[in-house]
Amino acid sequence: MDTNVLIVDDEVEFASALAERLLLRKYRAKTAYNAEDAISLIKSVPPDVVLLDLRMPGLGGFEVLRTIKEFDPSIEVILLTGHPKEEGIDEGIPTGLFDYIMKPVEIAELTSKIDSAYEKRNRNKDTRG
Amino acid sequence: MIDIDLRTSELNFIGKVLCVFTHQVNNQLAILKESVGLIGDLIEMGKVSRKDLEGIMSLIESIRNQISKTAYFCNSLNSFGHGMVETSASFAVNKIIDDLVCLLDKLAAQKRITFKKEFKEGIPLIHGNPLKLQFLVFYFIEKNLTRLEKNSSIIIKTSRSEDTINIDVIPKGIFVQVEDGAGGDTAYQFLANNLGASISVDTPEGGITIRLPLPSSAA
Repeated sequence: MDTNVLIVDDEVEFASALAERLLLRKYRAKTAYNAEDAISLIKSVPPDVVLLDLRMPGLGGFEVLRTIKEFDPSIEVILLTGHPKEEGIDEGIPTGLFDYIMKPVEIAELTSKIDSAYEKRNRNKDTRG
Repeated sequence: MIDIDLRTSELNFIGKVLCVFTHQVNNQLAILKESVGLIGDLIEMGKVSRKDLEGIMSLIESIRNQISKTAYFCNSLNSFGHGMVETSASFAVNKIIDDLVCLLDKLAAQKRITFKKEFKEGIPLIHGNPLKLQFLVFYFIEKNLTRLEKNSSIIIKTSRSEDTINIDVIPKGIFVQVEDGAGGDTAYQFLANNLGASISVDTPEGGITIRLPLPSSAA
């Protein structure tokens, strides 16, 4: 599996355990525990898919999403959320997001969404040539 | 009119506490699920070497910590709930403020603001409505959460003087310019009066002290 996944979540134990689980499933998973580290990591080693928690201290998740899309629109972002209503996404997925997944995460559902996001990124890259 | 405004604000306060609580418990459950999931993965994939056993032990430790954190958090909400049921009770000021701060901690952390608790031991129990007092303290905490820039702090201090129990809410850090809602403090002054308390602004940054009368048995 060649998919590079970046998990961005301020809950260190959650992000690191999830990264380990993805590594065991042959994804290349990295973690960032705040928005600023995530942005600098994305700019130095662009991932294919970002798993993004919107509710982090400091920069808001939507600002991170905007920065990612400005840097490289083909990077796909999946939102990690506990409560879709709180994030204002219960009535639809905001522009720029690939999808969202509820916490606690079902690993099979998550890997399926990551795979679909990765396919979409590759398709978009091919189209752009 | 003030009474209706306060009632609406009180429900708003309870709603916020419930949102923060459920959000936080959900996060803790997510950590537990991933930790247990990882242990399961390692066993299922037959990857339990001596090194992995160390990893598993540390995951089990993390699970224990999360369970303790969640239990503490649930206990705080439980006490908070009791305050809504028993509207006239004897209670410890330190305990109800500690519950409130615990429930609001994540809200502050999202703004990179920390709470610093300085609780004086040996404060006598007081009689009254604990929820109303939490609501009053919440008003000043929330006001400061709005006024402070990130990396600031809010000191919440309790003490006892000769005839009063004092609760201080003191903001420390850099302030942002925000419009004060018209009449907000008047409504809370009304609430303080109902509690038999007085409020004074004690620092140039807007630190306040809530003074509650010491029960006659302890005076």
